[in-house]
Amino acid sequence: MPLTLATHPISEIRFAETLWLDGTVLMVDKDELMRLVLEDSAIESVDFEIARPGESCRAGPIFDIVEPRAKAPGGSPDWPGIIGPPVTAGNGRTHVLSGAAVTALREQSPGDSRGATGYVLEMSGAAAAGSRYAVLHHLIVIPHTRGDLPIHSRHKAYRAAQLKVAVHLARAALDELPERAETFEVATAGERSGLPRIAYIGQIFSRQRKPEADEQIIYGADTEGLLPTLLHPNEWLDGAVVTSYHTSLGGAETYFYQNHPVILELYRRDRAGEINFVGTVATIASANNFDRERNTRFSANLVKWALHADAAVLTKFGGGVPHTDLAETARLLESAGVKTAVQVTDLARDHRVESALLFNFPEVDAIVCVGGNSTNWTLPPVERVVAANSGLAELLAGPFEIESLNVVGVANQQGASRLRSMLY
Amino acid sequence: MRVVHYLNQFFGGLGGEEKAEASLEARDGAIGPGKLLEHLLGAEAQVVMTLICGDNYAVENQESLIAAALEKIRACNADLFIAGPCFLAGRYGMAAGALGSAVQSQIGIPVVTGMARENPGADLYREPLYIVDSGDNAARMRGVLEKMAHLAVKLMRHEPIGLPAEDGYIERGLIRDQFVEKTAAERLVAMALAKTRGEPFESEMVPATFQPVPMPAGIKDLHKAKVMLITDGGLVPKGNPDKIQGSAATRWGSYSVKDCDDLKGEDYEVSHGGYDPQFVRQDPDRLVPLDVLRELESEGAIGALCDEFISTSGLANPLSNTRRMGREMADKVKSLDIDAVILTST
Repeated sequence: MPLTLATHPISEIRFAETLWLDGTVLMVDKDELMRLVLEDSAIESVDFEIARPGESCRAGPIFDIVEPRAKAPGGSPDWPGIIGPPVTAGNGRTHVLSGAAVTALREQSPGDSRGATGYVLEMSGAAAAGSRYAVLHHLIVIPHTRGDLPIHSRHKAYRAAQLKVAVHLARAALDELPERAETFEVATAGERSGLPRIAYIGQIFSRQRKPEADEQIIYGADTEGLLPTLLHPNEWLDGAVVTSYHTSLGGAETYFYQNHPVILELYRRDRAGEINFVGTVATIASANNFDRERNTRFSANLVKWALHADAAVLTKFGGGVPHTDLAETARLLESAGVKTAVQVTDLARDHRVESALLFNFPEVDAIVCVGGNSTNWTLPPVERVVAANSGLAELLAGPFEIESLNVVGVANQQGASRLRSMLY
Repeated sequence: MRVVHYLNQFFGGLGGEEKAEASLEARDGAIGPGKLLEHLLGAEAQVVMTLICGDNYAVENQESLIAAALEKIRACNADLFIAGPCFLAGRYGMAAGALGSAVQSQIGIPVVTGMARENPGADLYREPLYIVDSGDNAARMRGVLEKMAHLAVKLMRHEPIGLPAEDGYIERGLIRDQFVEKTAAERLVAMALAKTRGEPFESEMVPATFQPVPMPAGIKDLHKAKVMLITDGGLVPKGNPDKIQGSAATRWGSYSVKDCDDLKGEDYEVSHGGYDPQFVRQDPDRLVPLDVLRELESEGAIGALCDEFISTSGLANPLSNTRRMGREMADKVKSLDIDAVILTST
C-alpha cells in the first residue's frame, strides 16, 4: 500500500480572484471558499483571515489545525468517512501544501478545565517559539453557525468546512510539479532479518469523555465500541484519523496525524536500515476497568501476534486516566517479551516527581515525558486578534497569563513537543 | 557577602563523640573547613560567624537550637547560610537540614549544605534545600566545598541553577520544563531502540514508590457498625458551597443526608472535570449509594449510616494535596466514631 506525498512548499498565502499556485505563493479564491462552506445549511456566514509566521497576531479558540492536502485521482479518497466514502486511506498520491495550514476557530469559549481561552494560536513572541504551528502560514476559517444548533452540530459543521477548504486549497497543486515526492511503504515481514521489528500503538481518544453525537474520529466513526485495530501507518498520514472535539483532552490536532511525528520517525529509522517498522495499532483509553482489561490485551496481542514485533512505542490521548491504559498495555507487552517505550505527559500540578505518573510497573521503565505544568507566559497585546466574535476577541486581547498547555502545539501529545519535563 | 557557617563538634574542633552533648556556641570568623569555604566563595565573601553544636545536643534539642541559631544569624545580617558538609554523619545531616530549612523559610537567604545520599538528612531535606552530593569520604572535603561554593555563588547572583548532574546537588524530586532539541517522538523511538538493543537509556520520568498501606482489622460485627460514605467523584450540593475545584481540588466537604433516603439530581451537582457526569446528575445515588445503604440500615445489615457524606474531586490531584485532605478526612471520620467507610470513585 504505497503512499506518495508530493510536497509543494508554501511561502505565502494571498487572497485572489482564482485559486492557483504561483510558485510557492498560494492564491486563494475567497468567494469560491465561501460558496463551498455555505453549502452546509448549518453555517450562516463565514470569514477568512490569513496569519503569517512572526506576525503580531493571535487566533482562538482553535477548533483544529489541518494541513491542506488533496488526493490525486486513482488513489484513496480525501478524508474517508468524513467527506469521502469510508474506504481505506493511505494509498496513491497526495499533494501536500507544506508550510501551510487551514485552521478553524470555535464560536464559543470551551470554558472547560483548560480555562476560558481554550487553545490559542500565537504567531510571534516567546510562546510562539515553542510551537511548530507558529512557523506555518494559516488560512483561518471562522464559521458562524445557526444560533439554534446544538454544540455538536456546530462542531460537525466546523470539521466539514475545515476539511473541504483544506482539500480545495491543495487542489491548486494537483497539476503542479512538486518540490519533492516521497513514497511511504512498510516492508513485507521478514524482508530484512536481524533488524528489530518495531510497532506503534497510539491512543486516538479517551473514553473518560463520551464523544459527542456524530463525532468523527476514525473513518468518520466516534470510537463507540471500538476495539484496538490495526492501521497501516499510511492510513494515519492520509486522513483516517482526526482529532476529537473535546479540547480538555487536548494536545492533539489533525495536522500531527497527517504529519505524525512518531510514525514519520519510525519510517525514517526504517529507511536508515535500523529497524523494521511493522505497523500500528489505533486504540482508545477506556472509561472503566472492564474495557481497560479487554482493550489493553487486544492492543498487546495485535502487536505480539499480528505484527510479531520485538518492540513497541506507545502514546496516549487526553488526561490522567489514559496513563493507566498506556502503562497496562506496555506491561502486558513486556511480559510477552516485547520491549516498550511510552510517552506520557507530566500530571504533577505540584511539580513533584511523586505526582507525575499514574503507574508504577518496574518493567515499564522507558518513559518520555512531555512537560507543560511549569511553563506559563504573559501574552502581550497584539496588533491583530482573530476570533469569531468581539467577546472572544476581547478575551484574547492581552495581556493575559496563559499556561503552555493552552498554546496550541506546545504540549503536543502526538510526539511533536520539544517541551520536556526535567527532573531536578 | 556575609556568610554564617554551621559545623558539628568534630569539624568545629571541639572534639569527637565525647563532645556530642556540647550546646550551640557562636564564634567569630571561619573555623576549620570554613576557612577554605571562605576562600572558595571569592574575595567578597566573609564568614562572619561559625555556629558549632554537638550532634546529640542538636538532635535532642532541635527546636531550641533552631530558635537560638535563627536569632544569631539575623543579628549578624547574614546573606548566606552554609551547613557542613556532613558526609555520612546522620545526626549532623539532620541538624544541618533542619537548620538550613528554617533559615531558608524564615530568614529568606540562600542556603547550601552537603551530605552523602545515604545520609538520613538528605532524604528529609532534599526537596526544600540544595544539598551537594558529598559522598561518604571526608577526605574529599575540598572538592565538596568547591561545589557548595559554586552553587552558593549562583544562588547569591540569582543565576539559574542547572540540573543535579550539572551543579552537583542531590535530586530534589521536583520537575521543571525545558525546551530541548529533539521532539518527544524522536526521543521515544530512540529509547525503544536502545532498550531493544540492550543499550543504556535514560528514562525521563521515574515512577514513585510508596509504602504499602496496612490492611485494617476487619469489622467484627457489621450489624453494629456505623458506616460512612466518602466519594472523590465530586458530588456537591447545588451551588457547590465549599467551592470544591473540579480539578486538583484543595478542598473537601461533608454534607448532611439526615432524614434523607434518596439523593435527588435537582439537589446536587458534580464538580469534577475528569468523567462524564450525566448519569450521576440524573441520580446521585449512582455515585453515593445512599438509597441502598438506607435499606441496609433499616434491614439491620449495618448498624447505622452516618448522616453526613464526605466529597471531593479526585482529578489530576498532586499527592501533596491528597495526603493532607486524607488526613483531614480521617480526623473527621474518627471524631464521628465511624467503624467503616465505603469509598466510591469514578
